[in-house]
Amino acid sequence: MIIIRNLAFRMLCIPELIIPPGSAALIGPNGSGKTTLLRILAGILKPENCSVRINGRYPGECRIGYVNEYPDRNMLFPRVFDEVAAPLRFSRIPCGEISRKVELASERAGLSHLTSRRIHTLSGGEKALVALLSATIQTPEVLILDEFDSHLDDRALDSAEQIISASGAASVIRCTQNMDVASRSGTLVALFGGRIQASGSPHEVFSGLSGTCYVPFGWRAER
Amino acid sequence: MKLILDGITVARGEWRCSADGTFLPGIHLVTGRVGSGKTTLARIMAGVLNPLSGQILREGISSCMLCQQFPEYHVTGPTLAKEAESYGIVAEKALDMAGLTGREEEDPFRLSRGELRRFQIACLSLRDWDLIVFDEPFSALDCKEKQKERRRISTLSSRIVIVFTHEQRYLPKTDYLWEMRDGVLSYLGTVPEALPFWETAPVHVRMLLEKGIIPANLTEEDLLEGLCRMQG
Repeated sequence: MIIIRNLAFRMLCIPELIIPPGSAALIGPNGSGKTTLLRILAGILKPENCSVRINGRYPGECRIGYVNEYPDRNMLFPRVFDEVAAPLRFSRIPCGEISRKVELASERAGLSHLTSRRIHTLSGGEKALVALLSATIQTPEVLILDEFDSHLDDRALDSAEQIISASGAASVIRCTQNMDVASRSGTLVALFGGRIQASGSPHEVFSGLSGTCYVPFGWRAER
Repeated sequence: MKLILDGITVARGEWRCSADGTFLPGIHLVTGRVGSGKTTLARIMAGVLNPLSGQILREGISSCMLCQQFPEYHVTGPTLAKEAESYGIVAEKALDMAGLTGREEEDPFRLSRGELRRFQIACLSLRDWDLIVFDEPFSALDCKEKQKERRRISTLSSRIVIVFTHEQRYLPKTDYLWEMRDGVLSYLGTVPEALPFWETAPVHVRMLLEKGIIPANLTEEDLLEGLCRMQG
């Protein structure tokens, strides 16, 4: 359970937000504060005078996987294998075990063909998938994904969903501009102008957004 | 005015990509799977990357611009005003068009990715280009901005406009359809005639085609009209 109280930071003004475990999607216009909120949840930003707890702990005390909206900015190493292995190496896991884990995870994700590639030769979608694999390699408690899906086609998105499912993360929080993806989340949060316009099930939230482009295409057609 | 790709090949390790084709004025949509070489081809078309072999002929094309997939790659100025000036345009106009009025002195990297994308597109739009290559122009935009952008692209059909994208929902009114298949650029034909042959069609287009419905084009309105026909 994620509980935010009394958050007033930059443009964000959130008296209270409760996100139950499972999958949650954050939607809203460009510049509405989605990335800022995700960075707070990831422990990257630490606003004062507010309460942010993940299962009763501070974000910095949790094992968090984070994929930046600019996948390039997450990359520390020039080779894909090293980038995926980085969280394990930082945890000082034995080299043999690291190799096995990276190879297994890459194979399961269908990305074995990328592990020897140089990062800078990857396409945007491939970078996003590598960033996701690196973020999930160490079984995060919480997986935070900042619009990484904007780099993916539908088939690559299926691969990404498999990586996410296999990650073991109890909570997956993503922001997305793909409302079909958002509609498959257990919890939906609509953030407009730094404020929570609605949160709840996709049905509840999309009902309140009826007539706008934020409603999934298929749902609009049904009406 | 036309862009001709003549025996273009690119190689990177074992990966190969080849392209032949003639691009006339109009809106060209190029799709393909992640890693199929779309960005590489876009850069070659725009002249910022040389192919391994083959030649590119730009007949009657005197100006060309590439709108890159990652908007931050465009940034050269420390402020939005300086960034706009680097395009040779009036900063106020670009900021107004991007909905960022009054933020002249802001660091471009302080913007959200969607805001930076809007600003980048505004800067590109305020000049005329004979050839403009968009690499994932809808990436990072919210739905309202995607609607605006795809309408704006639709108005550029007097020039050669090439849009590389995997966007599923907000597509411009398209004249010509191309697809990257197994490392080869394939011309599928004009729209809507080519739609049944489109392997990487967006999910809603595929759904319509499976029901035997061919939408008039690829805009949101065309797809909604198709869905209405499907539902009788």
